[in-house]
Amino acid sequence: MKPIARSIRTRQLGGYVCHSCTRNLRRSRRGYATTSQPSTLEIYDVVCVGGGPAGLSLLAALRANPITSPLKVALIESQSLDPTRKFSLPSTQYSNRCSSLTPKSVGFLQDIGAWEHVKRERVCGYKGMRVWDGVSGASIDFSPEIGGAATEGGVVAYMNENLNLTRALLGRLDELGGVEVLEGEKVTGIGFGNDTSTADLSSWPVVKTSGGRELAARLLVGADGGNSPVRTFAGIDSRGWDYGRVGVVATLQMEGEGWGCEEGKIAYQRFLPTGPVACLPLPGKFCTLVWSTTPDLAAKLKALSAEDFVSMVNAAFRLSVTDLKYLHDLPSGQEEEVSWRENHTPFEREHVPMKVVGVQEGSIASFPLKLRHADSYIGQRVALVGDAAHTVHPLAGQGLNQGQGDVESLANTIAYSVEHGMDIGVRMNLERYESERYAQNNMLMGVVDKLHKLYATENQLVVGVRSLGLRAVNSLDSVKGFFMRQASGRGEKFL
Amino acid sequence: MALLLRQRLLSSGLPRELLACTVSTTSRSFSVLNRPPPNYEGHVPLTRIEKAGLAVGSAVWSLIDPRRPDLIAALGEATATPYFIYRLRDAMLISPTGRRILRDRPRISSKTMSMTYLRSLPENTVGRTYADWLDREGVSPDTRDTVKYIDDEECAYVMQRYRECHDLYHALTGLPIFREGEVALKAFEFANTLLPMTGLSMFAVTTLKPAERKRFFQIYLPWAITNGVKSKEVINVYWEEQLERNVEELRSELGIEKPVDLRDIRRQERARRKAETEAKERSGDSLGIN
Ligand SMILES: Cc1cc2nc3c(=O)[nH]c(=O)nc-3n(C[C@H](O)[C@H](O)[C@H](O)COP(=O)(O)OP(=O)(O)OC[C@H]3O[C@@H](n4cnc5c(N)ncnc54)[C@H](O)[C@@H]3O)c2cc1C
Repeated sequence: MKPIARSIRTRQLGGYVCHSCTRNLRRSRRGYATTSQPSTLEIYDVVCVGGGPAGLSLLAALRANPITSPLKVALIESQSLDPTRKFSLPSTQYSNRCSSLTPKSVGFLQDIGAWEHVKRERVCGYKGMRVWDGVSGASIDFSPEIGGAATEGGVVAYMNENLNLTRALLGRLDELGGVEVLEGEKVTGIGFGNDTSTADLSSWPVVKTSGGRELAARLLVGADGGNSPVRTFAGIDSRGWDYGRVGVVATLQMEGEGWGCEEGKIAYQRFLPTGPVACLPLPGKFCTLVWSTTPDLAAKLKALSAEDFVSMVNAAFRLSVTDLKYLHDLPSGQEEEVSWRENHTPFEREHVPMKVVGVQEGSIASFPLKLRHADSYIGQRVALVGDAAHTVHPLAGQGLNQGQGDVESLANTIAYSVEHGMDIGVRMNLERYESERYAQNNMLMGVVDKLHKLYATENQLVVGVRSLGLRAVNSLDSVKGFFMRQASGRGEKFL
Repeated sequence: MALLLRQRLLSSGLPRELLACTVSTTSRSFSVLNRPPPNYEGHVPLTRIEKAGLAVGSAVWSLIDPRRPDLIAALGEATATPYFIYRLRDAMLISPTGRRILRDRPRISSKTMSMTYLRSLPENTVGRTYADWLDREGVSPDTRDTVKYIDDEECAYVMQRYRECHDLYHALTGLPIFREGEVALKAFEFANTLLPMTGLSMFAVTTLKPAERKRFFQIYLPWAITNGVKSKEVINVYWEEQLERNVEELRSELGIEKPVDLRDIRRQERARRKAETEAKERSGDSLGIN
């Protein structure tokens, strides 16, 4: 079937809405008096709420594919997208919200033509990961030679600023055109349409915006983040828990470009009882920090002077858990204290991130960590992607990649329906998306959650057993290869 | 070959008696043939097997010959790693005063603690109590061995500090150095520091006389456990700064009650026995048995 319907005269709205159609449906007005203002109902095939990484890449994917490009699509984003469009920083500054993109996500972004728009000089591929236990010191090293996880360049993952990605996606959408963008407009309500003489929209979600517009959607996509209004509308519960932890982020500058960077940069993660602390490489001498810790300690970290904050970061990768406890309680003076302790704490210089010497002004921030998983990703004429569907602990750096995986699967599912003349919004036709993604995300979230809990203890017995486990895994290249392939998004599917 | 190894071990400063206990095979980190350089002055790096040999050997020897403080010291060092000395160091690192001690690394000897000065302090001060105790027991602050076998130089200092402060714990608690008092103090130290050697030394309780043993279990052990556990970590006392303080004040700050004076008890015990014998004799007299 051709996905374009010339008009919407048919009562059932079987065909697709032509985005070149300018005619809008006037809501049928009954003969009797009505107090409400007459408003214009616009009809779309896909209305996407949320212009974050997930929403934007879904639209780019739909627009880039000739099968789905005739669909009439709209984006509603409550924030202005101008700051994203204009995002531009000198090579000495980086946004503090960075995510690692797996080669699989990058492959997808290449497919939809967005990767070319990413400023590549601001992206940093890394080739190894070093993960260790902050209590026992047991460690595990991953390098791309193991398990054939990496891409041609031997890259495990790419560190990238979220804004560099969303800017590129907007650039790609501008290039493709054809998206009705409602920015700076909040979704104020979602309800069902009416059954009128011209069309039966009673099963169609109708989104009302703060700008006074009403959009009926054949398929409403919730890419609207953790507190998804679309999910609430669909009556889909989201379950999980808060970790009682926050992620402290910052852009850091190191002494040099990092250890062994001739062969490729390395990502570091140390598990502390309060949560993992990670140092992920950015281009040049820069790196990005993600330190999950208790809200109380995060507040103390944020209150420190730049010098003391930098010392705390160095301490987090080097000093004992006992020293860290003490240092956290000092209102100031960490710098001096840490330099004394470094002389008495044995650590392999090149096994920890290169010494940090500065923190970018205004880059220290924190966000709460939680685990949430929606009971379902789909409903009648509703699909959820990205954080709206699931929020995961950042320790595996998978949040954004999971969203990209969702988008790829949903875009394929939609294309399949269009190709086969099926209604893209009907629940049954969305099931392929759910079955492809739900179990896989659930498994990943489970593993990440268990890891967090395993490492959030100082219990000697647990520390002993987990260190044995880590050491055992470290000596088994086959097992490491498995983890590497999972981390780089090329893991075998086993669900 | 064996002879050569012996020579090397001898030059490494191991107590001669323990040579038989040290198996000279290679361990993972290094072998006796390529002993790494010392981590601090006086350090003797041992292989894991040598350490185990040292622990067993010194334990056996110190039971056979308890008048060998060097062996007891070696036992203490061999059993303190890998866990317990780190625990004690961490106890210091979490306390501001403990950290200051680790930074300054003060040493206690007759040079740093002048007896003339200590004796000149008013009664009831920590320093004067210490001096009185040293005088009463006829010992000096210089009788402590230096640490050799602990690899981490900071932990070696912690062990040294613990050792050098031992007499101050005696002074603080008023426990004498003869076996009964020593065992009671060791019990206190074990509860307080968790160093295994202090616990092991309590086996010496088996060598006490029945009356002493009874007293130990009835009075001193309960005292040692409750006080050792509930009081603050005594390793974190910066003694050098406390010398002029009132000793009662320090005790209550640390949460330590002074145990009943062992020498008093013994004296009273002797007096009682003497009185009994005399009474018996007298009654014998009055009965006109003679
Ligand atoms: C404060 C914060 C900091 C983070 N920092 C990091 C980090 O440093 N590294 C990392 O890897 N991950 C980080 N994450 C997680 C990461 O940002 C998310 O996994 C990722 O952004 C998810 O993308 P998304 O598109 O699914 O959702 P989002 O990026 O949350 O996008 C949702 C969009 O929907 C819009 N929206 C919401 N409600 C409405 C409404 N009613 N009407 C219209 N629009 C609406 C929002 O404005 C937003 O633009 C952070 C998350 C948060 C909340």
